[in-house]
Amino acid sequence: MSKSKFLSDTLAVTINEFRVLRRNRTAILLSLVVIPFFFTAALGVGSGGAGTSYSVTAKIPIAFIDDDQTVASGRVYAILARSGDFHQLIQGYREDNAIATLGTGKIYAVIVIPKGFQDRLLNDQVGHITVYVDDSVADLGSAIQGNLLKNLQDFNPRLEVQPVRVGVSSPIEIVARGVKFSGFDVGLTVILGLVIIFATFYEIAGGISRESEEGTYARLAVSPIGLGAIMAGKTFYDLGLNAVRALIVCALAVYGYGARPNTDLLTIVGLSLLMALLTMGFGFIISALGLGVRAVIIVEFFLVLFLFAFSGFIIDRELLTGFSKTISYSLPWAYGIEVIRRAVLIGQPLWTMANQLMFVVVSTVVFYGIAYFVLKISRERLVI
Amino acid sequence: MLEKAIETHNLTKVFGHFTAVDGLNFDVREGELFGLLGPNGAGKTTTVRMLCTLLEPTTGTATIAGYDLVKEPAKVRRQIGVVSEGVMLYKDLSIEENLKFLSKLYDLSGEKADQRVKELLEMFDFREKAKRQVRALSSGWTKKALICAAILHRPKILFLDEVTSGLDPQSATALRDFTRNLCNQGVTVVWTTHYMTEPEKICDRVGIVYGGRMIQIGSPNDLKRKVSELSVMEIEVSNLSQETIDKIRSVQEICNLRYEPPFLRISCERDDELTEKMTKTLLSEGVKIRAINTLEPTLEEAFIKLTGGEDEIDRILGRNDTDRQVMKERSK
Repeated sequence: MSKSKFLSDTLAVTINEFRVLRRNRTAILLSLVVIPFFFTAALGVGSGGAGTSYSVTAKIPIAFIDDDQTVASGRVYAILARSGDFHQLIQGYREDNAIATLGTGKIYAVIVIPKGFQDRLLNDQVGHITVYVDDSVADLGSAIQGNLLKNLQDFNPRLEVQPVRVGVSSPIEIVARGVKFSGFDVGLTVILGLVIIFATFYEIAGGISRESEEGTYARLAVSPIGLGAIMAGKTFYDLGLNAVRALIVCALAVYGYGARPNTDLLTIVGLSLLMALLTMGFGFIISALGLGVRAVIIVEFFLVLFLFAFSGFIIDRELLTGFSKTISYSLPWAYGIEVIRRAVLIGQPLWTMANQLMFVVVSTVVFYGIAYFVLKISRERLVI
Repeated sequence: MLEKAIETHNLTKVFGHFTAVDGLNFDVREGELFGLLGPNGAGKTTTVRMLCTLLEPTTGTATIAGYDLVKEPAKVRRQIGVVSEGVMLYKDLSIEENLKFLSKLYDLSGEKADQRVKELLEMFDFREKAKRQVRALSSGWTKKALICAAILHRPKILFLDEVTSGLDPQSATALRDFTRNLCNQGVTVVWTTHYMTEPEKICDRVGIVYGGRMIQIGSPNDLKRKVSELSVMEIEVSNLSQETIDKIRSVQEICNLRYEPPFLRISCERDDELTEKMTKTLLSEGVKIRAINTLEPTLEEAFIKLTGGEDEIDRILGRNDTDRQVMKERSK
């Protein structure tokens, strides 16, 4: 097939998809209004955290910097290390190096015991511990702070000679540092990921299933259009829809719920489209199974549930343990969501997340490759 | 001599353990209107679906307008138009929008495409219906829309699969006339149907498909002559023993006999004296006759007649006693 024929067929399919959408008011309503509005509103109203029964900070690598080098600061380290909440306290970082390392994934927080910590405590003053957290991992900061307070609230440098006073407020104050983001910034990242994946998967896998059921896929199959052009046409159509969808979600999050993303709109839309492409590739693979539209909806339900659990939508994947962590780290969506979070929450430049982006891009290419192959071999399943 | 528009070579399609089409060999000449006749499940639609590249043959191949079906499917698609149950239009779009979209896939562009679409819409008298969504059209108009889509790119070969089913007699006649006209213009048409009377009205030749095999190919006149020689009677009886059934079966003129109590259905060579002969035989065996009806032969009965009886079909299809038993169980 010539290049110009491929392009004209792709364009024809894209335009036709938009034409079909234009003639179907329910689809427009669901695709561009209900899904983005529903998720944004639902998460905006009910934003909260997921409860966990295990110590979520136990396996998180955290830098511990002791600038005080006193008995008291040494005991803080010992208490934390023994606590069961902080198994991966790393010593040896310099404060500026440790802060610079935040966001790279090597460490997720920096606990600093400042100079004069012991003196303040011995003079009945409040001792400050400074905590820097990786703000792209939204729930992590509060989890670390909570566990620090839990372990250190009765800390007393003169423990051997003075019994713990009950009912006295904590002698240690945790000072959180780092980028401050408004409450709904996290919501924006969750909704973006959710809306894009939810809608895109249905549009591609459900779209092809519907075409198969209604006999229009067979119509394409008896015409001279190639499979590549069909896939490309549907991809461009869905990219267009997702660009609109991402803009709607951003507008709602910013103007409706006061989100203040730390990156520009173009980056957010671009990352959303990258996630959409990844999901489209997967959607094409599922469509090759020749499932009915109802079955696709069920698959979508499980996919979204799965991603909810393992991709950092609700539970930060850094907080996962064991096998669930392994699953999470093998899911390309998790990397996409991580990039969106880091970009939106702390404005981390994209080039610093090249590895994550590369993983998403490579996964997308692999998905498309597999999809092309399986759609080719399962052609009969879709036209019967 | 006319060239062959379609030529199949041992065309076979197997789904799992079921052979839907079994080594089909036939050809269709250019400009010919070829009928594929057979009962439901005979393998007609599977054959058409293979010939229009929707299904890949398990073995064998075919040449369509000079292109190999298996090796050059993309080229074959440019030469064919298809009207078949599973090949539909976008329901949310109007017929006009559907045709415009399809014209782009067939490389008809701009004014040329607009002109062709307009021509077709006028030819089928769509008028204001041209802008109506396909889902809002009646089945007759939908069928017209499907034919428009199939002939949009002026294909050399047109496959019309059970195209008159669901149409009123007037529309069916108009469609047959239209198809005949297309053939006169040089288009080759493959027309599949399970209506016995349909091919004799329009087809140049008819191929009878049964059990995935081509049983017979001939002119519709042959078919008509043979079928008209067949008469069917249904006798409501009681006390019918197996010996009596065997005795009746041995009557030479009888092509087929089926007994589903209390009805004894007999198809036989048209013979005015046969009814009397049957009645006498049954009464002499002590069988009580409640009613006798003369009926039109079913397609199955016509096939049995056309193909020389059940034994002949079994011979052609290579069936043994076990297969026959399975078939009987299935038909029950």
